[in-house]
Amino acid sequence: MGRKKKKQSKPWCWYCNREFDDEKILIQHQKAKHFKCHICHKKLYTGPGLSIHCMQVHKETIDKVPNSLPNRSNVDIEIYGMEGIPAADLKEHERQKQNSKGESSDEDEPASKRPKPEGLLGNAPPGIPVAMPQMNQMMPQMISHGMPPGMHHMMHTMGHMGGPPFMHHPGMPHMMPPHMMMQGQPGPPKPLFPSAVPSSSPGAAIVGADFKPISSGATISAPPTTNTPGGNVDLSKINTIAATGASSKILHPIEDVSLEEIRARHPKYSKGSWQKNDERGSSSSSAHASELSIAVSAAQQAAVANQQQVAAIQAKAQEAQHQHMAMMGRMAAAASAAHAFPVRVSAGHPLTVVAGAPVMAGPSMGMLRGPLIGGPLMRPPHLGMPPGMIQMPPGMMYGHPMFPAGPMIMQPRFR
Amino acid sequence: MFNQATMGGFGANTAVTNTNPMKDYEVVQPPDDSISSLAFSPAAIPQNFLIAGSWDNNVRCWEIEQNGTSIPKSMQSCGAPVLDVAWSDDGTKVFVAGCDKQAKMWDLASNQLVQVAVHDAPIKTCHWIKAPNYSCLMTGSWDKTLKFWDTRSPAPMLSINLPERCYCADVDFPMAVVGTAGRQIIVYQLEGKPQEFKKLDSPLKYQHRCVAIFKDKKKSPTGYALGSVEGRVAIQYVNPANPKDNFTFKCHRSNGTPNGFQDIYAVNDIAFHPVHGTLSTVGADGSFSFWDKDARTKLKASELMEQSISRCAFNHNGQIFAYAVSYDWSKGHEFYNSQKKNYIFLRSCYDELKPRTSS
Repeated sequence: MGRKKKKQSKPWCWYCNREFDDEKILIQHQKAKHFKCHICHKKLYTGPGLSIHCMQVHKETIDKVPNSLPNRSNVDIEIYGMEGIPAADLKEHERQKQNSKGESSDEDEPASKRPKPEGLLGNAPPGIPVAMPQMNQMMPQMISHGMPPGMHHMMHTMGHMGGPPFMHHPGMPHMMPPHMMMQGQPGPPKPLFPSAVPSSSPGAAIVGADFKPISSGATISAPPTTNTPGGNVDLSKINTIAATGASSKILHPIEDVSLEEIRARHPKYSKGSWQKNDERGSSSSSAHASELSIAVSAAQQAAVANQQQVAAIQAKAQEAQHQHMAMMGRMAAAASAAHAFPVRVSAGHPLTVVAGAPVMAGPSMGMLRGPLIGGPLMRPPHLGMPPGMIQMPPGMMYGHPMFPAGPMIMQPRFR
Repeated sequence: MFNQATMGGFGANTAVTNTNPMKDYEVVQPPDDSISSLAFSPAAIPQNFLIAGSWDNNVRCWEIEQNGTSIPKSMQSCGAPVLDVAWSDDGTKVFVAGCDKQAKMWDLASNQLVQVAVHDAPIKTCHWIKAPNYSCLMTGSWDKTLKFWDTRSPAPMLSINLPERCYCADVDFPMAVVGTAGRQIIVYQLEGKPQEFKKLDSPLKYQHRCVAIFKDKKKSPTGYALGSVEGRVAIQYVNPANPKDNFTFKCHRSNGTPNGFQDIYAVNDIAFHPVHGTLSTVGADGSFSFWDKDARTKLKASELMEQSISRCAFNHNGQIFAYAVSYDWSKGHEFYNSQKKNYIFLRSCYDELKPRTSS
């Protein structure tokens, strides 16, 4: 349909007769007003696209294009911006234009004309709406068989390697500006990346046919809105809140900390015997108050003296150092008895005998590393502590008889 | 030695309940608590051994037979919840990292467990690196360091500071990738000695949870797939020929919007098929999916399990896909039910993971 923009008439929306200054904005408008899925708020590219989306994803039929004039609600006509408008309607619009010129150009919604587009612009994330339509237009030209355009293109390029130094932001954003964003709107669409790919790949009408179905379950969240929040804040205490706040929720504890960290804090796991002899060491590095308390409680099982020592250490490491020295001495004896370097040694030894030694190595290693790490300061106390010893036996007890030695031995040792 | 061998035959055909919606082979005597890690023995051994680490402090080993039978071989207690396991390249040893801030080496022939690495905080990942001129264990910890151990010395060969706590890592010589808290990604090159190659901005907007390296057609590592808690996976090439090569896709999200919300689940693990180069993802939603990243299509989606799937793994020749059905804490401790049985299922997957195009 090459007849758009003839006589520099403004682009207008076939569905609601509204005029726009720019076709880009018209396209944004159409996506937002007429091609948006009412269930998941996904913005599709055409009326038929929307209808297929609803059919496939939500199993719902839509009989008319949302927010359209009564006589323009046909979901089967494929309209994209000014493309695809039936010739008759184009002429009719032209005629009306002509007529109304003398008057103050108003047909449908005079008042809302100006402000609306601005609102749209304001709301939309900068790069996206602009880029995507463009993209969309290009794709179909590149390939026109049933395949999703985006895909196809990528498959070709995929194999090649050693390409340009696109390192930091290897995604779409970089590539869009060159081809697609020529007209104004330079906004470097940083946030675009993640959401852009999935949503830009589908060709206009091919909604269901491509990568989309992959995310079938997923088509629903509204990617653009996800972009802004949460992203830039880093480090430990951000909340991982719902993606959009609108239509989806992330099933994850609020705290932006890995599930394993959260789980490890749970008393069930943090009270294990390993904690008794080890948690102390960690209190230095991971400054969780909860861990501290755990460490303390664990210590209760140790000699009171030791406990005080721990506290002292945590408060003032330097002062504690003397005590450590003393302890280290004690430990060293124990450790050396158990063989300082378990690994090599143990391999050769009869299992039962050496069994305990390896585990002991932990402490001894700590000592050997000396003040380098700062860890040792904390570590010695647990060394000295009985619980440390107590913990070993269980480890050994579980040890099963063993592989009947058969299969595993193939390569006896790799070193 | 183990009589359980006789129990093996069940699985696919008999035990069909909703605990096993995909009708896969069930591994016998599964761990008593959630499964934190899974690893199949390397190609160096003809048989298939499966190692699983668990929050019950134990690491277990089964032999998996061709007919889907699993034979418990051994179990070791590590004294603390296990967070990761890894095999040595020759298949004689297994490395176990855990909450006790230690990594231990389990010599399978002698059944001994020996500490080989220590951090100042729990160790989240461990990987064996086999380079021409060195081999070592790489450990990534919540103490914000990445350390390399030759397993004989109590001191690390090398310690690299991470910008944040290590959340996930993968190694495929000569490449290593580490994903950390604060959404950072660091790529290391291991040639000669481990060195930081590149620090990257995350393509994802939410916490990193899992990462897996993939290879190009020449079988050399060329990029990685990164999964986040927001049901999304990014496919990233280290040197993309075209920026479009990198993309993200959504997964592990609820289909409908039952209560007005779409539920988005964490991607708990990603594994690449060793032969086809296609991949699987498993999620907190309790499903696994197979994908073809080159065709950008989903090859298969599973039914939902009773609980989340915490980890997955392929065996060395890509015949077996193992996935662990156990609670991943994604709904907090309130939803933890220690009575619930944990499962490891085995699926014959070779054909299902064939890329569609190259039929």
